Amino acid sequence: MLIKFLNAILTVLAGVGGALVLYWLLNKLAEVLPGRWEDRLKPYLYVLPAFAAICLYLVYPAIQTVIYSFANADSTKFIGLKNYTALLGSDSFRQTLFNTLLWIVIVPLVTIAFGLAVAVLADRLNPGSEKLAKTVIFLPMAISAVGAGTVWRFIYAVNPPSEHQLGLQNAIVTAAGGQPVNWLQLSAFHVNSFELMVILLWAQVGFSMVLLSAAIKSVPTETLEAARIDGAGEIAIFWRVIIPQIWGTIITVFITVTIGVMKIFDIVYVMTNGDFNTNVVGVAFFNELFTNFNNGYAAAIVVMLMLAIIPIMIYQVRHFRAEEAGR
Amino acid sequence: MRRRTMQTLVAVSAVSLLTSGCLSSGSSGSSGGGKGSNSKSIELMLGFSGEQLDQFKKSVDPYAKSQGITIKWSPTDNFNQLINTRVQGNNPPDIAMFPQPGILLDLAKKGRLASLDSFLDMSTLQNSMTSGTLDTGTANGHLYGLLVSMNVKSLVYYPKKAFTAAGYTPPKSIPELLALTDKIRTQGKTPWCMGIESGPATGWPATDWMEELVLKYGGVDQYNKWVKNEVKFNSPLVRKAAGTFQQIFATPGNVLGGRKSIAGNNFGTAGNPMFKATPGCYMFKQGNFVAAKGFFPDSVIADIDNQVGVFGFPPATAGGDNPVEGGGDLAALFNKNNKAAQKILKYMSTKDFAKDDAKTGAYISPHKDFDVSAYPTQTIRDIAEIGYKSTAFAFDGSDAMPGAVGSGSFWKDMTAWISGGKSLDGALKDIDASYPK
Repeated sequence: MLIKFLNAILTVLAGVGGALVLYWLLNKLAEVLPGRWEDRLKPYLYVLPAFAAICLYLVYPAIQTVIYSFANADSTKFIGLKNYTALLGSDSFRQTLFNTLLWIVIVPLVTIAFGLAVAVLADRLNPGSEKLAKTVIFLPMAISAVGAGTVWRFIYAVNPPSEHQLGLQNAIVTAAGGQPVNWLQLSAFHVNSFELMVILLWAQVGFSMVLLSAAIKSVPTETLEAARIDGAGEIAIFWRVIIPQIWGTIITVFITVTIGVMKIFDIVYVMTNGDFNTNVVGVAFFNELFTNFNNGYAAAIVVMLMLAIIPIMIYQVRHFRAEEAGR
Repeated sequence: MRRRTMQTLVAVSAVSLLTSGCLSSGSSGSSGGGKGSNSKSIELMLGFSGEQLDQFKKSVDPYAKSQGITIKWSPTDNFNQLINTRVQGNNPPDIAMFPQPGILLDLAKKGRLASLDSFLDMSTLQNSMTSGTLDTGTANGHLYGLLVSMNVKSLVYYPKKAFTAAGYTPPKSIPELLALTDKIRTQGKTPWCMGIESGPATGWPATDWMEELVLKYGGVDQYNKWVKNEVKFNSPLVRKAAGTFQQIFATPGNVLGGRKSIAGNNFGTAGNPMFKATPGCYMFKQGNFVAAKGFFPDSVIADIDNQVGVFGFPPATAGGDNPVEGGGDLAALFNKNNKAAQKILKYMSTKDFAKDDAKTGAYISPHKDFDVSAYPTQTIRDIAEIGYKSTAFAFDGSDAMPGAVGSGSFWKDMTAWISGGKSLDGALKDIDASYPK
């Protein structure tokens, strides 16, 4: 035990020391060069270690994944586009894509809408109540997605009609004289997918609320007063004065939530593991890799996911730059 | 200037020393793992831990101590992968307890295991061991894996008082089981409790049902062929099994809460409505583990012999071949010259091994002549007897199928079929198609 502890300390020391020595050596190397070249190369030498690390830990695995997506299940033979055609040709994977699309379309929009509503309404409370309301709504953020899933299992739980209903929703339904409902099996119109989305919303609205609330509070009061003097109603002020001024924050929250939703895994895995037609891309990937040991399918799924996320990332970077430039 | 250079030099060399060699955590190797020796210290690797391991240790350690042997216990959560890695790396333990026979038999066929029949008393074992349990560890006519503990899956529980008061008797064949089901239903009561919900592993209890019926209808040989996918899912045998299963779960009124509730009911507690004053149902199929705290209600466990009845899942025809599905741990030896390990294995093969362990109710011996009075309750005695009276023994089939099937499509397609999301035809074909090519 002591030896392990010492080793850990030594590792940290060696890591930090090693990095210092590396930069010191690179600096020395640059200083050896003749004057003009020293200035030209120095920045690159300083960026080099970080760049190399990113290449090794991010770019290389990404490229390898793309390569594996054209290979068979145990990555021993290239099979061209077969992984892609087989996946896109299978009905269940198309359903998985459709479910994921539903998540992408619905969750970010609703997160923004709810977050904004709470932020605006809480803004009008007295400070004490505002704090309390925000704390309560922010609270689920502190719970991990798996924890949230466990909590919501109790909300959706179902027992046979003759039994005591443990699940909250079914307790309400049966108290009102109804029959218990198998919530998570309601696959018609993807109702069960929406029920899973509610869990993510429950966990995410706090995040959106905090950012949007901060943005609303930084809207200059002069602009609001000016609008009021000009005779604008509260609704017009909200849409025409507040929203345009917090638009940047709305986009940022929207993109962050969208990317998170595209990769959604934990909630669906814990609640249904993709059964009852609730599968999403993240769970499909996990099951291909760790249950079916099909590297080819798994790689093809993440490559498709990567292709879908890249345009959003590019938009986000551009948006961020434009924001910075506007400042 | 000069001093600074010296300082940096010292720093550089210190860092390079550190990075090149951290302290070794003193795992002075040389446990002699599987490499034949007269060492009195052996490593025993197994796939279970916690309370179960503590109990098992209590059964082995005193004997080992009396023989001057020290056992290094190596429990792992990931037995199947680790054992393969260690064998490939030429670093096997001395004894390993395999949770399934598949990998054990593979290793035996590759010549990596020592046969046990050279030093175990085979004729005694043949009389003593539950029928078929020796076969599960036998390859090329030699015994490589000895079943040390046993669990039984082919069980149907019933609420003892209500069941007998209603005049029902345990059925002797599958047709009788179906007739009893119909009888209970037509009397306006619910025959079955069923639940296959198990979080991300939802569906596995349904695979147990299928395995049970394939085993009873097809016998051990056909069953093993099915597990190897030589008999397809889309075959008359599996269709016959699925037909019977469907008749039980899909006939309206047969299952508490109806077909739709099966995938929402938890595998461990689905049977509990049986024990209400007016039983919610009269039969529940599940392995022996469920007759313990945490599954059946505490009040039932406290009075288990009066409350819980159990019968073996009946054979296809009364009095016919009656194989039992179950599991257990198979002990294997890696080096034939390891005397200490041989002694331990020999001890594990004795009929009253782990008698003290049995008193906790967590251990069932595979020996038919085990002193059943060691079991703490009549219920466990009954369960053990169901195992002992079987004509053959089969391990859980889905565990032995490739992961893509055994813990993938088999679970998922059974769940989809039972909850009405897929036809039986589609489910069986999809499972066949999911076998890795």
